[in-house]
Amino acid sequence: MNNDPRPVTLIGGYLGAGKTTLINRMLADPELPRGTAVLVNDFGDINIDEALIRSQSDDGMVLGLSNGCICCSISDDLSKALDQLAELPIDQVILETSGVAEPARVWQHCHYPGFSPKASVVLVDAENTTQRLQDKYVGSLVKAQLDQAHLLVLSKTDVNPGFTLDRLQPVINSDDPSLLATIFGWQQPTAAELGVSAGTSSKASFGAHTWHQNDVLSLTTLRTFLHDLDIRVHRVKGWVATDDGLYQVSGVGSAFALDAVTDLSKPSNLGLVFIYCSDTDSHSGGFAPDQITMTLSP
Amino acid sequence: MLTLFKARSVITMNPSMPRASAVLVRDGMILEVGEPENMAPWMQDEEVVVNDQFAHSIICPGFIDPHLHPSMAAVLLPMEFVTAMRWKLPWGETEPVTDPQSFDLRLAQLHQSKPAGEPLFIWGYHQLWHGPMNKARIQSISEDRPTVVWHRSFHELYMTDAAMRMAGIDPAQIKPGMQIDIENGHFFEVGLGFAINRLNPWILAPEQYAAGLQRLKQVVHHGGHTSIGDLATGLFNFDAEAQALAEQLEGDDVPFRTRLVVHGTRLTQGGRKPQEGPDMAAALLSRNSHRLTFGRHIKLFSDGAFFSQLAQLQEPGYIDGHHGEWLAAPEELERHIRAYWQAGYQIHVHVTGDLGLELTLDILQKMQDEKPRFNHGFTFEHFGFSTPEQIRRIKALGAQVSANVYYLHELSDSYAKAGIGFERASQMARLGSCFAAGINTTIHSDFTMAPAEPLNSMWVAVNRQNHVGDVMAPAEKLTQQQALEAITINAAHTIGLADITGSIRAGKRADFTVLAEDPLTCDPMTLKDIDIQATVFEGRVFPVS
Repeated sequence: MNNDPRPVTLIGGYLGAGKTTLINRMLADPELPRGTAVLVNDFGDINIDEALIRSQSDDGMVLGLSNGCICCSISDDLSKALDQLAELPIDQVILETSGVAEPARVWQHCHYPGFSPKASVVLVDAENTTQRLQDKYVGSLVKAQLDQAHLLVLSKTDVNPGFTLDRLQPVINSDDPSLLATIFGWQQPTAAELGVSAGTSSKASFGAHTWHQNDVLSLTTLRTFLHDLDIRVHRVKGWVATDDGLYQVSGVGSAFALDAVTDLSKPSNLGLVFIYCSDTDSHSGGFAPDQITMTLSP
Repeated sequence: MLTLFKARSVITMNPSMPRASAVLVRDGMILEVGEPENMAPWMQDEEVVVNDQFAHSIICPGFIDPHLHPSMAAVLLPMEFVTAMRWKLPWGETEPVTDPQSFDLRLAQLHQSKPAGEPLFIWGYHQLWHGPMNKARIQSISEDRPTVVWHRSFHELYMTDAAMRMAGIDPAQIKPGMQIDIENGHFFEVGLGFAINRLNPWILAPEQYAAGLQRLKQVVHHGGHTSIGDLATGLFNFDAEAQALAEQLEGDDVPFRTRLVVHGTRLTQGGRKPQEGPDMAAALLSRNSHRLTFGRHIKLFSDGAFFSQLAQLQEPGYIDGHHGEWLAAPEELERHIRAYWQAGYQIHVHVTGDLGLELTLDILQKMQDEKPRFNHGFTFEHFGFSTPEQIRRIKALGAQVSANVYYLHELSDSYAKAGIGFERASQMARLGSCFAAGINTTIHSDFTMAPAEPLNSMWVAVNRQNHVGDVMAPAEKLTQQQALEAITINAAHTIGLADITGSIRAGKRADFTVLAEDPLTCDPMTLKDIDIQATVFEGRVFPVS
């Protein structure tokens, strides 16, 4: 057992966004890194799924949590659970937050002796998010959850295929085959600065880079750029103003789509978000994400 | 055998006969209240003992705090209180300590009064009065003694090197970003959780906890209570708490009864649906003993802690733009409320901000639409911020209010300056409007959030004076009559005990609080200093002073 802080990946999102479904998939996935402990939130209906999680977990470790404030419960469950985990030979933690938690507050909580936060993954439910963002009770909370995410996972797209998020943030669909690998390998630069490893058994490290557009590009420049994109970029998404009008960009691997935006709703942010993968054991040494977009920003 | 209690005046809280001069009691039950000459028919064939020890005193119905937390109190009360506000405790009144020098002096006195090596836990530090705190400052007074100085908010603490050694905290483990400032021995928020987990062997040790409950028993008695509500039984661990309460708060020497209201979401935690909750709560009734009783009551939670500015506010919110927090998702709160509403329970919901109140009112409206209920006793607990429009809704939906009025005293000044602005801060605990609307309204301490002194709560409700001496929203002041109703009959209604206590009339239990002065006619500024001479619990006298 090494003495490095164990990385904690947060799985957040509002009630019903699909957190438990995602965690069940992780537990069933053969690629789940060994030595992963899973902390699930124990509140309300999620309890039912907790039973399901327990039955599926053979060698993973699952602990239940419940909401608590230090002043009302003497010691909150998360601190207790982390103290328990600190005694065990685990390498990393996946932490399901409560549906009403702000990821940034839980992130702060994971700066705990023996642990360090690694990434905030937040589920966005294509079915209800638009309505929830308008809700007078939870609108500001749901917005904060999105704002504070490092990686957004779009769920329930089958129910509402037309749903898009007008945000320059890394997004991946929950039915994407590389979803789990992306989450397991997600690496926030802030965590890296604190000297946290991505977990010894994770093969690849994923991250994101955002380019904000300031000046209009020629459509040709944009096409050329997308053609020549570094192969380590797995995904690109965003909106770009060109001399030929506004385009929505959406690319996976070497395939990309450029669609002219014709409806009246203009996106509030222009730019591109890149999700990239740098293999830890191969040629990617020295990979600098901001080189991706050097050709776009004069 | 009958006992005839005589008094300078008996305040009955029965509007049909507000005053009397004597109460006749048999086996803990009131036979008649009124004038002794009318009681002759009861006394013809029975031995009568005249108890005139209160002949110069005022007998009130026994005071009731309908919302406090014995389990939290048991943790805090063994600590030494060094506080900026007065706390009247049975083992000595803590005089306000309002500057850094006095704080250090008090710390030194406590240090010198303890055997060497015994850990010293201080509670009540606040930087506004006591200046910046750090490890070196504490160690300059009690270097070798494990010493822990806890902030008044409970959200942060400071400890000495000796305390860290005692708790097994290795400074080398502490990295930047952890909400621990190891140089100063300062643990806050998340860091506090880390510290508490290591201090638990001292603060939650069974004998310490039992001693804490014994102290709580004294506090409740000295406050003049004869009934209290434990408004979240199962806060830490249901079985351990229930057992400790049964051991410490039941028995002939306990001068009060406790209505236990179980923590609803903790009850069904761990895989059960909210709909299973009502049957689980009903099963607890079989545990009832004479003084400790569950009823068909349940406690649920809406928004965050008032003291931490995590109450959920409607527009325009907090001045700095931060948001409060939900303790449960609104949909989850609704599911739990529906389960208990359908099953006919009286539901108590913790609400602190006006958005939390609005949400809970919306849910209550939905419940009334789905299944109309009368006399359901739905209670808004704490009731920090509200609007006049919400007062009307509370009335229209048949709900009631149990307010922590002490917020106004301790927090209205600072929340006016750094929080929400003067207008809303001055109108926290909008109680005059509740009475004007005819809402059953009571006040509580939420002890240890406020002193468990009903006369002090009454003083705040009547005078609305904050800790710097400003009178906040005088239009919301209660009359002395209203405030006394709040801590007696209205409180009894709120925790479902009005059939047995809360007023002095034939057929109720003989629960009295005996005062040296008349709380209805005294100078309202003297209310909190009225001498409580004794309580009478079910006919038996328990002297206080």
